[in-house]
Amino acid sequence: MRGVCTRSGSLSAADFYASAIYFSQRWNETNSDFPNWVWIPCSRLGAISEDEGYLVLEKIKLQTERNDSNLELNNCDSCANDELTDEATLVDVHSHDAHLYDLHIAYSFTYKVPVLYFRGYKSDGCHLSLDEIKEELPSHSVEILQKSKWTFMTQEEHPYLNTPWYTLHPCGTGDWMKLLLSSTSYGDKASLIQYLPAWLSVIGQTVGLRVPLELYSPS
Amino acid sequence: MSSPRATESPTSDRKVVVHLRATGDAPILKQSKFKIAGSDKFLKVIEFLRRQLHRDTLFVYVNSAFSPNPDELVIDLYNNFGFDGKLVVNYASSMAWG
Repeated sequence: MRGVCTRSGSLSAADFYASAIYFSQRWNETNSDFPNWVWIPCSRLGAISEDEGYLVLEKIKLQTERNDSNLELNNCDSCANDELTDEATLVDVHSHDAHLYDLHIAYSFTYKVPVLYFRGYKSDGCHLSLDEIKEELPSHSVEILQKSKWTFMTQEEHPYLNTPWYTLHPCGTGDWMKLLLSSTSYGDKASLIQYLPAWLSVIGQTVGLRVPLELYSPS
Repeated sequence: MSSPRATESPTSDRKVVVHLRATGDAPILKQSKFKIAGSDKFLKVIEFLRRQLHRDTLFVYVNSAFSPNPDELVIDLYNNFGFDGKLVVNYASSMAWG
């Protein structure tokens, strides 16, 4: 079934694939600060089909309180701060401490919307617990997670990797996607192709991932 | 001799007209249009809405199908997504039940 159901804010698997490819291409073209999103073809049923799979963005630093303070020091080009010692040493220490994240976007056949799966790691490769992740999220993200009826984190089995990942539960997604999609005068086709950027504008905020503004204008 | 420094961009000193639109069952503001400095972050709009509506959690989005990151500058949002001399900001209630 093609076509976004603007009454429910959902989309078909085929449209998810189209939007994912479009989104990742645009991200990779415009966002040189970040690694590329990569499409991993994968099937729940065994046979690899070209248009089923998920997007991955791995080993990235998110806009966390911890990483932000690292960034400020690292980007301090003209800093005349007497407290800073040898800059090279500082960079070493803090990038060694940096927490990295893997983000996966997969399609939920149950809810007919995208779902974010993510994991965080310390510099030694140890996984971060959900509490540890929440501790370093920007305050805005924590607020959304705690107070919004639409976004809450749980732990679920990754639909393709069969390992436990943290996820933003998809049950509220249709509700707010409905609002976003009805805010434009785009036709159906443009709405569909912009689905993932629209979706990520909200989901990204809950985990500290900033989406460049260019991605929100249809090309 | 003046030290080299970036010239203050005239656009960032501009005021931007923001038009707040209630959607869903969110309460409508008595005054829905106001001006904000372009150099302010979108966070200011969000906080203004929260204070006016006495709601902690709002779903705030613009007419181009996305919810702006609070760190975005208002002038950037207006330049890219403004229309007819203003930036339209929609809001809906998203408070948790119970």
